[in-house]
Amino acid sequence: MMNKTKNVVNNICKQIGLIIIALVIATIFLALSGYDPIAVIRGLMESISGDIGGTIRWATPLILAGLAICVTYKAEVFNLGVDGQLIMGACAGTAVALVIPATLPAGIAAPLVIIVSMAAGALYALIPAVLKVYTGTNEVVSTLLFNFIATLFLEFLVTGPLTDKTSGVALNASAIVPKNTWLPRISYLAPSTANIGFYIGLILVVVMGFIFYKTTLGHEIKIVGANRTLAKYAGMNPNRSVFQVMIISGAIAGMIGAIEVFAIQHRLLAGFNPGFGFDGIVVSLLANNNPFGVLFSGLFFGALINGGINMERATDVPSAVTDIVMAIIIIIVAANFAIPRVRGYFRLYRKADNPDTGVKGGKTE
Amino acid sequence: MAYAVEMLNITKTFPGVKANDNVTIRIDQGEIHGLIGENGAGKSTMMNMLYGMFEPDSGTIKLNGQEVRVSSPHTAIRLGIGMVHQHFMLMPNLTVLMNIILGSEPQKRGLIDVAEAKKRINAIMEEYNLPVNLDEKIYQLSVGEKQRVEIIKALYRGAKILILDEPTAVLTPIETDRLLEVLRKLKCQGCTIIFITHKLREVLAITDSVTVMRKGVVTGTRKTKDTSIKELSELMVGRPVDLNVPRKEFNPGDNILELDNISALNSRGLTALRGVSLNVRAGEIVGIAGVEGNGQSELIQVISGMIKPTGGKVLFKGKDITNFSVRKRRLTGMSHIPEDRLKMGLAAKCSIRDNMILNRYFQKPYSRHGVMNNKLLSEFSDKLCKDFEVLTPGSEYAVSTLSGGNMQKVVIGREMETNPNLLIAAQPTRGVDIGAIESIYRRLIAERDNGKAVLLVSAELDEILMLSDRIYVLYEGEFVAEFNRSEADEKKIAVYMTGAERQGAKDDE
Repeated sequence: MMNKTKNVVNNICKQIGLIIIALVIATIFLALSGYDPIAVIRGLMESISGDIGGTIRWATPLILAGLAICVTYKAEVFNLGVDGQLIMGACAGTAVALVIPATLPAGIAAPLVIIVSMAAGALYALIPAVLKVYTGTNEVVSTLLFNFIATLFLEFLVTGPLTDKTSGVALNASAIVPKNTWLPRISYLAPSTANIGFYIGLILVVVMGFIFYKTTLGHEIKIVGANRTLAKYAGMNPNRSVFQVMIISGAIAGMIGAIEVFAIQHRLLAGFNPGFGFDGIVVSLLANNNPFGVLFSGLFFGALINGGINMERATDVPSAVTDIVMAIIIIIVAANFAIPRVRGYFRLYRKADNPDTGVKGGKTE
Repeated sequence: MAYAVEMLNITKTFPGVKANDNVTIRIDQGEIHGLIGENGAGKSTMMNMLYGMFEPDSGTIKLNGQEVRVSSPHTAIRLGIGMVHQHFMLMPNLTVLMNIILGSEPQKRGLIDVAEAKKRINAIMEEYNLPVNLDEKIYQLSVGEKQRVEIIKALYRGAKILILDEPTAVLTPIETDRLLEVLRKLKCQGCTIIFITHKLREVLAITDSVTVMRKGVVTGTRKTKDTSIKELSELMVGRPVDLNVPRKEFNPGDNILELDNISALNSRGLTALRGVSLNVRAGEIVGIAGVEGNGQSELIQVISGMIKPTGGKVLFKGKDITNFSVRKRRLTGMSHIPEDRLKMGLAAKCSIRDNMILNRYFQKPYSRHGVMNNKLLSEFSDKLCKDFEVLTPGSEYAVSTLSGGNMQKVVIGREMETNPNLLIAAQPTRGVDIGAIESIYRRLIAERDNGKAVLLVSAELDEILMLSDRIYVLYEGEFVAEFNRSEADEKKIAVYMTGAERQGAKDDE
């Protein structure tokens, strides 16, 4: 038990170290390009200390996307289609919101559109799952390509069937959704757009943690991910697990779409999704695919992105700097897997370079 | 005359474990030297140090009387040491030729001189009778052929001292015989061979002298002609070992498992089983003998429900279960020790607990409404580890931290804990040391004596003969012979295993 705690602390320290390295490198980049070198760090500090609302606003979709990624990752299924699924969720939710009577009480209308969004996201995730199970199509490819379909479908909707006819100009957006479907914002953090989506995220973190570590479903997902032949041999149904994780992942993605539309934009916009799905991969990666870790890594990236936006507003430092930080983190995490191997390789060859049988020379490690 | 290899007072410590403690091994020029011991006895560590994979903390290595420092495999090769690893170090997508010359290609004007390489390799193949098709890709070869490629690779690099790490663990009996033949030839040509193994019979058959290790120290060195299986196994295990486990009188009960005219395809869609029928009764061990790849895997998969037969029926306790799922079969009293524990029987990355609970995690009282009782499951798993003597500090450790024998104990513990009516045991002792083999044999016999049915599939003919009450011989997807315990012997069965004869045909004469 002691060992376990030590392990957890070790891991956390490692991830924090990783973040610090990334920030230092980003700072060097900024200095080299002639910007204020500590801009990123300043933005980050301000996100944490000043603009907590903004941080929460951006952390919410990132936490959810991180959860959507980590659930599939546990089963060794790779869902790169969170973006597509959240777009489809937003589309379906908006479509329903625009047709249901505006007199429906908010207590029914808001949950209804969320559920519709989640169902649409789940259904859209189910297609690549079916293709994978029945035709052997690689889900990495199919989910990625389904993103393009979703993006174009969204553009079609907001310029065609769902376009806002009341405004005179072409907006590439739907009409404002009726107020009874709006999701409440956190009044304490007003005027930011931080909303109850954050609470949903918190609850989902706990729920996913429970599913992973306490339920038979979680155990099956783990075994399927670790060794599919073993799962089959032990009487599990690996295909069913693939469906399960993709449905859960797609539903969470759909929830992101609903939150973006009904809590923040209040309408369906062509470019409303800045790529939460892919950011979710980084969030999950930094969290070691642990749902509780996802909460913190989501908050960190939320602060980072929010800091970048604030920074751009106040100074001339482009918010794209935050992308550099993210990219560096991806590279370092990937290097984390590779470095021990590379080092082993070099050690082998360094030794080989030593004169053959000489008793002296060469350091023994 | 100087020794070919001397490893004097070698000590090697890994974090937390003393792998070798003041070990001395001396190997004569031109002999075949057996190095035996249980899993984790430190044999491989010793050989890896000789091959330069790591260096000893203290002690010296001498070759032909001269002290050397083997700092890397490159140095080892330069010194004429070659090693054939248990897990082959070959590139599956390259041809045999390319694999052999990789890293030491003969060159002509900056290009690889293929003709010269072929000439040299052909000479080696002819000299030692090691035929392989040089133009085939590695992935197209059988295990035995891959091993031959490894040996040629070592000889091509001029190895005079050859280390073979458990070379026969992956071979069929026929391939083993062929390998031993090759080794004898190598010895005649002046090679010194170090032969690491578990299998004492092979040690007696081929070696000149033997070093036995246990728990990091040498427990004895013997001339092969002066020793016996009994003495060697005692030195290995540290106590007398008797694989001849006493059994109750044969008194079979009702049919537990019946196969009626089963046909099945293998994973490549080719016919693997052609209408096999068998029955296993309560209180008997039925052995399936045969060279691997004659339909054993498919037979087990049909019975355990992992593949559907293309024809025929599977009856279990009198009920037709042909269309039952794997889980349903398990729940009606079937257990299965798989032939490849790492591929099928365990998730190495996961904890021992996660692996132990696979038959129970979904059942009351271990879980209710899909929520697992983690505390109860951990207790369950800890208890099984203790009952089945899995050597581990705790069941929260990953399976990959265990030795092969202990991994197998995890599988066996899990599969026996359900108290099954039928236990399918496929290669139950593969890669397991002799002490563990003895305990596995005892457990299988105990199942039988308790009136359970056991279906034993093994490539080791000794094992089949020692344990089975009845024996079927499988050849090319058909049973070509059936024997009772009393009438079976190795010679008789071997004839049928190779397909040279079949019982039906013989009766017709």
